[in-house]
Amino acid sequence: MPVYTFRIQRNWTTEQGKLESHYRDYSLEVSATTTVLLALEEIRSSQDGTLTFRQSCRSAICGSCAMKISGRTRLACKTHVGDVARDGVVELAPMANQPVIKDLVVDIGPFYRKVHKIKPYLEDGPEQAHTLDKSAYDQVNHVTQCIMCGCCYSDCTMLEVSKEFVGPAALAKAFRVVADPREGQKTMRLRDLSEPSMMWSCSRCAMCVESCPKDVKPMEAIVKLRTRGMAKGFVDGPGAKHALAFHQDIQKWGDLNEFTLLQRTVGILGAVAELGTAWHLLKKGKIPSPFPHKAEGVEELRRIYQLLEEHPIDVETKAKEVVPE
Amino acid sequence: MSLEFAYYPGCAAKQVQKEADWAARAVAQELGITLHSMPQASCCGAVSLRESKPAFALAVAARILSEAEAQGHPLVTICNTCLQTLSYANHRFKTEPDLLDKINHVIVQAGVRPYKASIQVYHLLWVITDQVDPAVLQKKIQRPLKGLKVAPFYGCHNLRPEEIFDAKAGEKADHLDRLIQQMGGTPVAYDGHDKCCGFHVMLSDATEMRSMVAKNCLSAKGAGAEVMITPCTLCDMAMGAYQKAAEDVVGQEIDLPELNFAQLLGITMNISTETLGIRRLHVDPHSALAERGVI
Repeated sequence: MPVYTFRIQRNWTTEQGKLESHYRDYSLEVSATTTVLLALEEIRSSQDGTLTFRQSCRSAICGSCAMKISGRTRLACKTHVGDVARDGVVELAPMANQPVIKDLVVDIGPFYRKVHKIKPYLEDGPEQAHTLDKSAYDQVNHVTQCIMCGCCYSDCTMLEVSKEFVGPAALAKAFRVVADPREGQKTMRLRDLSEPSMMWSCSRCAMCVESCPKDVKPMEAIVKLRTRGMAKGFVDGPGAKHALAFHQDIQKWGDLNEFTLLQRTVGILGAVAELGTAWHLLKKGKIPSPFPHKAEGVEELRRIYQLLEEHPIDVETKAKEVVPE
Repeated sequence: MSLEFAYYPGCAAKQVQKEADWAARAVAQELGITLHSMPQASCCGAVSLRESKPAFALAVAARILSEAEAQGHPLVTICNTCLQTLSYANHRFKTEPDLLDKINHVIVQAGVRPYKASIQVYHLLWVITDQVDPAVLQKKIQRPLKGLKVAPFYGCHNLRPEEIFDAKAGEKADHLDRLIQQMGGTPVAYDGHDKCCGFHVMLSDATEMRSMVAKNCLSAKGAGAEVMITPCTLCDMAMGAYQKAAEDVVGQEIDLPELNFAQLLGITMNISTETLGIRRLHVDPHSALAERGVI
């Protein structure tokens, strides 16, 4: 069997309350198909009893053993050593974007508080349906696979620079509630989700789609929330205004009008605030023309738009039907 | 293999980031890649149209893909977000025939040729690393980078979601690293290589976007990078044009020359800096390149 080096970030709090951190290497002979969790247990039992990590179900159901494994957040119980070793080294660190408690253990309190912020339960109200058909599961099913492991939260590129952003898991849960016909407060929820640091603060980097061990695709849920929010008329924020500029330009020019996009997204005052950057761009000849290139056959695009406004078609992706075995 | 493509530069390369288009055309010509223009192609809608008008977004993509299909060539682009938007639509058209029928039904009424979902969507970078004969590429590199430490910044929409792309994507993607090696440079391994440039939240979350730029650039510099390259016109704008604004937000000098991959490749091919639009870059790469004796 091959010998792997497990380079593990050890974290501890000093008596003065300061978090200290260093990496320590452990060598272990295991097969490539051994899970990282089994390897960690072996290191703890045979080499270092002080090594601290969370674990419980060993079956990718509880979400306890999420940690940074070779640069990406993964469940240790679901990850094979051979798949993540780089030149024989597996690097392990605690999840990011959360306070570290000890070694590979983080405080998951802030993560859960953000999930609670979106009220992760159905509420009574005027929009509540009392009869359901099978299609009710189309949008809900894949999001209900979420196990709240926090992998997406740990790898989220927006959370790296913003403590306020509510995060992908909470937004996926918000979509799960908004998309449920039994929910009575859909519109009020979409109003709240249109506030700053909520659904419009996602950078659309799709890291959460890649990190999620349960294929929840949080970013896809965020896209669907934005569609529903705009359809309900919550279009005051710069995110929504920016999104709405596109279909106007495509019908008019074919191409995006980058010259007027700024003013339409952040308004005149916002555009003035951006002038520092604009001056910088001007010096490099980078201010776009107010009259972009017009694509041939723009009238086709106008016609397509009209046809779809008159006869809307449903193109949303739908969860696969779950058939009991 | 025929190296003919329907060329879709994207809105940024036609307006603010023209230099990426100039460089792409120049290196393509050197490598025997024919880029056919697409006069009817519109903006792809980027990340936004899929949110505001999901059905229209797919119809717009189908119309663009259909124009390339009618030319009989795969589509090639130099913008990651165009790549992701068109690959996403193409992936759905290829795997959901009912959806393709629905969209074709609409576009045909507007006089657009129906899309048969027969073409592939590539990035020009992938064409250069995976389809051009490596010996041909090697022969064209007259000014190798002499070990220059180059940070590859892939950009999100070149990588994720993995399953939609017609090339190796996700964590397995290595094309930018391979190109740097082929040019004689040393790819720098750093934390930010597959992270977000923040372009799509530039206006809605301005401070956060600038913090992302700073974090990625500083992570690259910390790992020893002398220059950074990206395959994306939007990443170019964020990591290059907004680098100064990012310095102001974090209160720290960055000063990392950032180029489009085709610009650096063009320099190694001895294409004139005028043609490559090097003067339009915000952090001048000349001294970094001169120090290594590349220019």
